[in-house]
Amino acid sequence: MAKTQPAVGKQALGSAASTNRFIRDFRINKYLYLMMIPVVAYYLIFHYAPMYGALIAFKEYSPMKGILGSDWVGLKHFQDFFNSYYFWRILKNTIVISLYSLIFEFPAPIILALLINEVRSKSFKRVAQTITYMPYFISLVVICGIITDFTNADGIINTLFTYFGYDGQAMLQKPELFRPIYILSEIWQRIGWESIIYIAALMSIDVEQYEAARMDGASRLKQMFYITLPGILPTISIMLILRMGNLLNVGFEKIILLYNPITYETADVISSFVYRKGLLEFGWSYSSAVGLFNSVINLALLVTANYVSRKVNKNSLW
Amino acid sequence: MKKWLSSVLVLMMLGTSLAACSSKEETATNSKNTESTNDTETSSKAVTYPIKTDKKLTYWGEINGNLIGVAATHEDVPFFRDWQKQTGVPLKFTAPPTGQVKEALNVMLASGDLPDMIEYNFLGDFPGGPEKAINDGYILKLNDLIDKHAPNLKKYLQDNPDVDKMVKTDSGSYYAFPFVRGDDFLRVFQGPIIRQDWLDELGLPVPETIDDWTKTLTAFKEKKGAKAPFAVVSKPRFFNESGNGAFLGAFGVTRGFYQEDGKIKFGPSESGFKEYLKLFRQWYADGLIDKNIATADSKALDGNMASGATGASVGNAGGGIGKWQPLVEGNDPKAVLVAAPYPVLNKGETPKFGQKHQAYASEGTVAISTSAKDPVLAVEMLDYGYSEEGRLFFNFGTEGVSYNMEDGYPKYTDLLMKNPDKLAPAQAISMYARGSYNGPFIQDKRYAEQFFALQTQRDAVGIWKNTDAAKYSLPPITPTPEESSEYATIMNDINTLVDEMTLKIILGQEPIDQYESYVNKMNSLHLDRAIAIQQAALDRYKAR
Repeated sequence: MAKTQPAVGKQALGSAASTNRFIRDFRINKYLYLMMIPVVAYYLIFHYAPMYGALIAFKEYSPMKGILGSDWVGLKHFQDFFNSYYFWRILKNTIVISLYSLIFEFPAPIILALLINEVRSKSFKRVAQTITYMPYFISLVVICGIITDFTNADGIINTLFTYFGYDGQAMLQKPELFRPIYILSEIWQRIGWESIIYIAALMSIDVEQYEAARMDGASRLKQMFYITLPGILPTISIMLILRMGNLLNVGFEKIILLYNPITYETADVISSFVYRKGLLEFGWSYSSAVGLFNSVINLALLVTANYVSRKVNKNSLW
Repeated sequence: MKKWLSSVLVLMMLGTSLAACSSKEETATNSKNTESTNDTETSSKAVTYPIKTDKKLTYWGEINGNLIGVAATHEDVPFFRDWQKQTGVPLKFTAPPTGQVKEALNVMLASGDLPDMIEYNFLGDFPGGPEKAINDGYILKLNDLIDKHAPNLKKYLQDNPDVDKMVKTDSGSYYAFPFVRGDDFLRVFQGPIIRQDWLDELGLPVPETIDDWTKTLTAFKEKKGAKAPFAVVSKPRFFNESGNGAFLGAFGVTRGFYQEDGKIKFGPSESGFKEYLKLFRQWYADGLIDKNIATADSKALDGNMASGATGASVGNAGGGIGKWQPLVEGNDPKAVLVAAPYPVLNKGETPKFGQKHQAYASEGTVAISTSAKDPVLAVEMLDYGYSEEGRLFFNFGTEGVSYNMEDGYPKYTDLLMKNPDKLAPAQAISMYARGSYNGPFIQDKRYAEQFFALQTQRDAVGIWKNTDAAKYSLPPITPTPEESSEYATIMNDINTLVDEMTLKIILGQEPIDQYESYVNKMNSLHLDRAIAIQQAALDRYKAR
C-alpha cells in the first residue's frame, strides 16, 4: 500500500490534462481498478465511516438517544481527562514505554535480519527464522501467563538467580522491573516476525555490488556498513515513520495482563487507564475523547517524522 | 487501542442504524401489548404453567463459572432446557464470555440491540445503578407489571417487607426479578480457613486473635516448612476477600465504605487501616505471606494449597474448603481444612466485620429490556421462580432426575452428588439447578445442607457468622443517577490510590509513615464528596 501511494498522489496532481490521462489509464487498466474497489470500499466503510462516531467525544453519549440525539457537552471529556489526577503519570508512562520500545525493540529485528543475512548455511537460516518468528503466533494471554510464572518469586528466572546468591522476589512486584520485562518479552515475541520485512529488503540488494566490494578488498563488516545497511535504509525509515505514528498507542491487553497496583506507577498507560475508566464505567464518550486525543497526537508525530525523514534522507511516506 | 476504539465505534454505528430501523415496530408491538394486558387483566391473575405461547423470547445471561469446561452454551445445560419446558415459554439464549460480563454488556448496550431479558447485577455492576439504567431507557420499570402479572413475587415481597425495601430503588422502582437468599444460613459462606491437621501436630489451638495468627503462621513457616503460610487471591484487587473485612475487621475497618452510628466512613482513611498495614507489612517481611501476593490468582492459590506451601487462607465454604479439601488430601491423606473465626485484637471480642450477605444479593437478577417484544409474557415467565413448584425446580432441578422427594425433603440424587462423569457436586448441581449459585428465585436452605457435603463446611457457617457485620456494613444503596458519574470518577481514582498504597506499604517499598500522605491525597481527590454522596444514599435508603 505504502509504496503505491506516492504514485497515485502524483497522478492526482495537475489539472485537465491529468484528467484525460486518468481516463486513458482507466481504459488500459480497468481490471486493476475493478480489483481496487473492494479495498477502497473497505477503507470507506470500516475506517472512514466510523469516524463520524468520533462525534460522541463531544457529547454525553447514550445509546438509546443515538449519536445525533445525545446531548452536546463540548470539551468536557477532554478537560476531565487533562485534569485527571493520574493524567501526567499515564502520559509519561505511555511515552516512556513507547520510547523504550523505539530504542530497544525497533533495532532488534534489523540486527537479527543482518545476522541471518550473514549466515551461509541455507538450512540453518530457515530454521533460525522459523524459530524466531514462532512466538509471534502464541496468544498474548498465554505469553503473559508464561511471563508471570517465569518471574515469580520461585519461578525459573529467580531460581537461576539464587545460584548467584540473589534472593528472589517476584519481579512483577517491582515497579522498576516492569518496563524491562515488558520490552524484553516484546522483543522476544516480535523479533522474528518483524525481521521478515528487512530480510525481504536484503534480498533485493544487487549481488554485483557485493562482488565489486570484494574485488576492492572490503571486509564483510565493511560490506555490511557500506552496502547492506544503505540498501535497506529506505525500508528502515518507512518503518520508523510508521512507528512514530503509533507512539501513544501502547496496547492495553498486555499491560493489563501484567500489571498490578504496585507497578501502576511505571506501568499504567493511557489505554489501561481508559480501560479501567471507560470500558468498566461505561464511559463511551470519555474513552472516545481520549482515543481522539491519542489519534491527533499520533497524526502530528507521523507528519513530523515524515517531514524530517524527507528532508534528511529523501525517504518518506508521501 | 485504535483497533479497539474503531470496533466499538463500528458497533455503535451498526447499533444506531438497527435501533432506528426497529424502533417503529417496537412501539407498535408495545402498544399492542398494553391493549392485550388491559383485556386480560382481570382474568390472568394467576398463570398456570406451562404457559401456552408460540412467541420465542430472547435471554442474555452469563453461564455460571462452575460450568466452565462443562457446558459452553445454555443449550448444553439441562436446567435451561427444562426451564423452557416448565414455563412453556421458548427462549433463545445469548451468553457473554464468562468473567467478562461487564465488558460484554457495555458493548451490547452501545449497540442498542437489546434482548428481551437481561440477567445482570444492575445494582452492583451497572455504573450509575439501576435507577440510571431505567432513566437511560435500557430496562423497564417493573412496578405495574409485577403488580399485575407476577403474583408469586408480589406475595413474597408483601410477606417480607425487609427484602422488598432492598429490591427497590430509592424512588421505589422495581427494576429486576431478584435473587433472594431465603435463609440466614445462606448469607454467610466465607471466612478464614486453616489446616487443622497442622495445628494438631504443632499443638496449637485454632487462632482467634491477631497475635494467635502471628504465632500460628510463624510455626507453619518454621516447623512445617510452608513457603507461603498465608496466601490469598489478589485479582482483581489486592487480598480480594478482605473486601468483606477479614483481618481488616479486627482493626475495625473494611476496604470500602461502612456505617457507624448512621455515619458513613471510608475504611482506608480510618486509623485502623494503618494498623492493618503495619501488621501485614511485618508478616510479609517475616515471610508469613505469599511472596507472590500481588500477582496471585486463584490458580496460584490452588497450587500453594495443594502442595502444602500454604496453611491458611480466606475462602468460601463451597469454593474454598470444598475445592481445597480433596487437593490437600491428595498430597497428605491426614490433611483437614477447617474454618477459623474472623480474627480479633483481644480475646473475646466480636469482630466488627466479616462476610455476611444481605438477603437480597444483587447478582443473578433478571431485568426486562425496553425493547422486549412482550414484557407481560416475560414477567409471567420470570415469576415462576417464586412459585412453590418453581422454587423447587430452581433449587433442586427436576424431580426423578436431579432430586427425589423423601419425606417431604428434596434430596439431590447421586447424579449430582456422585456424578458418573466425575463432575464435582458444585458443577453437577449447576447443570440441573441454580441452587448452588443465583438467579431469579428464592434460594432454599436445604440446598446448602446437602451441598456442604463435609461436616467442616457445615460447621464453617456457624463459626464465620459470629461478627457484627450486619450492624456496620451497608445495605444496598446507590447514588442518584445525577451523582453517579461524579461518584464513579472520584472512587475510581481513590480505589487506585488505595490499592497502590496497600501494596507498596505491605511489600515494604514505602515506609509506613507514607500512610498519612496517602490519606491526604485521598482527601485532595474529594473523598469528602464521595462520603457525602454515600451518606445521602444511606439516608434515602433508610427513608424508603
